[in-house]
Amino acid sequence: MSDILSTPHFETALARRAAPAGLGFAVREMTDRGMIDLRGLASDRKFMTAVKGVLGTDLPKAPRSAVAWGDIKVLWLSPDQWLVLCPRARAVALAAELTAALAGIHSQVTNVSDMRTVLRLEGANLRTTLAKGTSTDLHAAEVKPGFVKRLKFAEVGALINIVEDQIFELYVFRSQADYVWDFLIAIGGSAAELHLFGKQSPA
Amino acid sequence: MLTLVCPVCGAHGDETDFHAGGQAHIRRPASHDPEHISDQEQADYLFTRINPKGLHFERWRCDRGCGKWFHAARDTVTLEFKAYYGITELPPPDIMAQARGAWADYFKARQKAAAKAGAKS
Repeated sequence: MSDILSTPHFETALARRAAPAGLGFAVREMTDRGMIDLRGLASDRKFMTAVKGVLGTDLPKAPRSAVAWGDIKVLWLSPDQWLVLCPRARAVALAAELTAALAGIHSQVTNVSDMRTVLRLEGANLRTTLAKGTSTDLHAAEVKPGFVKRLKFAEVGALINIVEDQIFELYVFRSQADYVWDFLIAIGGSAAELHLFGKQSPA
Repeated sequence: MLTLVCPVCGAHGDETDFHAGGQAHIRRPASHDPEHISDQEQADYLFTRINPKGLHFERWRCDRGCGKWFHAARDTVTLEFKAYYGITELPPPDIMAQARGAWADYFKARQKAAAKAGAKS
């Protein structure tokens, strides 16, 4: 695996797409993200201890939360599923470490670094703009830095992670990355900007 | 539009965030008594569904959340969800008591079977 990833033939999904200009937010593809899908029982102490031994951090148990430790970040996906983020170059080795540490424990480790494309969005009006693509309430109090949720975005399955108040990361399947990129360009232009109806009193 | 809350992860969303899985508590006769199944039983299992006016019990999946299946009690007249409960569980007793018609019969049979199994062990 590792030598395939390092060959010049490997290309990220959006490598040939130019950075869009004139949008209300900045968008770029995160090309150096390694992702490992981890499944196991949160109630199994052996599993949790073994994972902590490798990652250095406890897995987040609270729904829709994330924890970070050094260059590793873990996103909660389900009571028994997590997405471990790490530098791409580390993914193969880290997955092997996890597999070794979890030998004999009911669990599953899969390197899914090529499964999803990560789009990093930065801007002040992200919540309002992204609301055009999803029914998830991005203005809810829960949607603060550290928030993670699978959602339907532009009618396709996606995963959102609020990194900072104005920095969001949107995970979409690689095969749909082009489409979502186009969708973001369509909803992000100044002509598509959302305004309140009627005459607004000056703030 | 229906709005639901997932009992597993607490995700709140409308019906597009969830997946309706049809009627709850359908048991495949072959997995309980594979030797003696009549054609009628098998046909009922495959095709016959309860279609009540009022309280109904359904399976739903938290599609855009934790991905887990769960059960929900819904009023088919008001479209109000009365209760959410685990995929391996029966409804909360107070909700079960409100069931009418075919559902009431079904829960009575389940409770009778459970009491019989409890008495045996």
